[in-house]
Amino acid sequence: MDFSISIANQLNAATILPEGIVIITLMVVIIGDLIFGRSSSRWLPYAAIAGLLASIIALYFQWNNPEPIAFLGAFNSDNLSIIFRGIVALSTAVTIPMSIRYVEQSGTSLAEFMAIMLTATLGGMFLSGANELVMVFISLEMLSISSYLMTGYMKRDPRSNEAALKYLLIGASSSAIFLYGVSLLYGLSGGETNLTTIAARITDASSSQSLGLAIALVFVIAGIAFKISAVPFHQWTPDVYEGSPTPVVAFLSVGSKAAGFALAIRLLVTAFALVTEEWHFIFTALAILSLVLGNVVALAQTSMKRMLAYSSIAQAGFVMIGLIAGTDAGYSSMIFYLLVYLFMNLGAFTCVILFSLRTGTDQISEYAGLYQKDPLVTLCLSICLLSLGGIPPLAGFFGKIYLFWAGWQAGIYGLVLLGLITTVVSIYYYIRVVKMMVVKEPHEMSDAVKNYPEIRWSLPGMRPLQVGLIVSVVVTSLAGILSNPLFTLANDSVVSTPILQSAVVTRELPQNNVKVSSTVAPSTQH
Amino acid sequence: MTLAEGVQIVSFGILAVMVLGSALGVVLLTNIVYSAFLLGGVFISIAGLYVLLNAEFVAAAQVLIYVGAVNVLILFAIMLVNKREDFSSIPRRWIRQGATGIVCFGLFALLGTMILITPWSLAPTSSAVIENSIVEIGKHFFSDFLLPFELASVLLLMAMVGAIILARRDIIPEVAIAKEREIVSTSLTLPERPREIASIGSSPTKEQ
Repeated sequence: MDFSISIANQLNAATILPEGIVIITLMVVIIGDLIFGRSSSRWLPYAAIAGLLASIIALYFQWNNPEPIAFLGAFNSDNLSIIFRGIVALSTAVTIPMSIRYVEQSGTSLAEFMAIMLTATLGGMFLSGANELVMVFISLEMLSISSYLMTGYMKRDPRSNEAALKYLLIGASSSAIFLYGVSLLYGLSGGETNLTTIAARITDASSSQSLGLAIALVFVIAGIAFKISAVPFHQWTPDVYEGSPTPVVAFLSVGSKAAGFALAIRLLVTAFALVTEEWHFIFTALAILSLVLGNVVALAQTSMKRMLAYSSIAQAGFVMIGLIAGTDAGYSSMIFYLLVYLFMNLGAFTCVILFSLRTGTDQISEYAGLYQKDPLVTLCLSICLLSLGGIPPLAGFFGKIYLFWAGWQAGIYGLVLLGLITTVVSIYYYIRVVKMMVVKEPHEMSDAVKNYPEIRWSLPGMRPLQVGLIVSVVVTSLAGILSNPLFTLANDSVVSTPILQSAVVTRELPQNNVKVSSTVAPSTQH
Repeated sequence: MTLAEGVQIVSFGILAVMVLGSALGVVLLTNIVYSAFLLGGVFISIAGLYVLLNAEFVAAAQVLIYVGAVNVLILFAIMLVNKREDFSSIPRRWIRQGATGIVCFGLFALLGTMILITPWSLAPTSSAVIENSIVEIGKHFFSDFLLPFELASVLLLMAMVGAIILARRDIIPEVAIAKEREIVSTSLTLPERPREIASIGSSPTKEQ
């Protein structure tokens, strides 16, 4: 007993308590399903949600941990990782209620679905805190493999099969490229896998290693950009989003993306601190392409899920503005936007799920005249879409304003202007759906809406869906006006994270020098 | 040059030729069964390279896992899908092949240059000093790589569950509308109906 306690102290194992809770929940789900059979699907989802919420509470108690490094440097539980782990866990906790009815209606088993989703969450959470290359790769693969499995969960649907195969093939090759880049890092640093040590080793000899470092950077960014579906690496997104079960799409667009951004921040800020200029340049290119292509192609979509796929590509472009800014405000605006994006995007997907469960379609034209049959879904979908577009009183507006303000402060004017222009474009295609639902006269109603079934929330699995929907919509509409707690949370996490602070200081020092010299120069002339 | 060094250099040369030759064969041959067998050749030659690097455990694992499991699985998959299909040859196929060749060669030249000009900071402990690599690997697994090692068990568990889900025979519920309108089982398919017309935006995803 003594021995195990001293080992646990040395490893600082308490830092992965939230992940431990998720693993226990995973075990409860698998074994509970094994023992009680299909009847267990009545209580299993709630057990999973309870486990995830408990994990979020455990994360809260880890805030400002004085000793964040755990497992001999393999895991870093600083505030930045805590907030990203919270986002990933929260996105799953909101996704599970909306998946109960969807999965049961398709006749597949719910317990395995939740088990795979919890593993994906676990992968995302470990990825957010991974501080070592092996750990990064294992958790990345955990997230990806569970995502492939969930994508192909509807086995008899050819679209689902196609999506899973496409996702698997593109994902496997991007993992391979990422691994090649990581192996170059390992070689350049002389056999180190810890990110902090790599940063220290590479700084020593910089000049002749620059080509190797540049290639490592490009390969690593290829792997990360696949996860966050930034534009040249986005080809899988529309087809996968269209062919996967909708709850999976909701998780991929929020949880998986947040984990990708966490990996991007940690890997680029620590290991590639030497080539900050270069990765800012590459990400600027990715952001420009994502903003333009995502928003423009979304205009032409006829399927709701495809439109949300392109919209999520564009939203990733907005978040990248904060990453490129590279200041405290930039990073905290990323976190704030991701927090807000979680609720508005998941709310929109909940509405899409409700509509497709009732009518069996996700064509945008079929939404015509929905407000006369189902005012609640119309209201919620409108609020979420308008928030995604950035209409003032809603949360998305404040998130975008904060991102643009941080970008403007950091001096990336061109990108911010492009962001503003593409926001206007995005408002067009979001409003198009709202207009389709609200403005149409009764005789213009689509067939699907004409045959709209009676709204009954008492059906099994509908109640959690309703709760999830209401929660997301309430947060989306109020988080903008009452944004101060979220704002403080995002800001605190960035300010108290050592890796970001050192990066910000090294970036700002040269600017100060320039200012001093420019003030000195006129005085010497006089 | 001592005898040992000479043997090392010669065996390295032979292994390198074997890797390159069989890898080119995998890509260039049109019969997929030959490609699969040559892939086994690539794996075995790489295991030989590991032996030259004093990593005998990795070499054994390479043979066991890649040749024994992955490659055999590939061969099974090829033989189970026993379907002959004659593909019509694409006109101007050589343009695509040439472009692919140029891209691959460019990448190879870039990476080759990078490897040659970079001064690699080598680890101070030579691999020859380590007596038993299995003991070393074990020590790492239970010290600084403890967390990834344990995490891999969760990953494998989920891969197993996932494989069973994909392979098992499900009881497919009948597509029937029950008394209540809303209880419609879609029998393991998506509730959304497939699109009739291809959307305009799907063009960038069609590569092949």
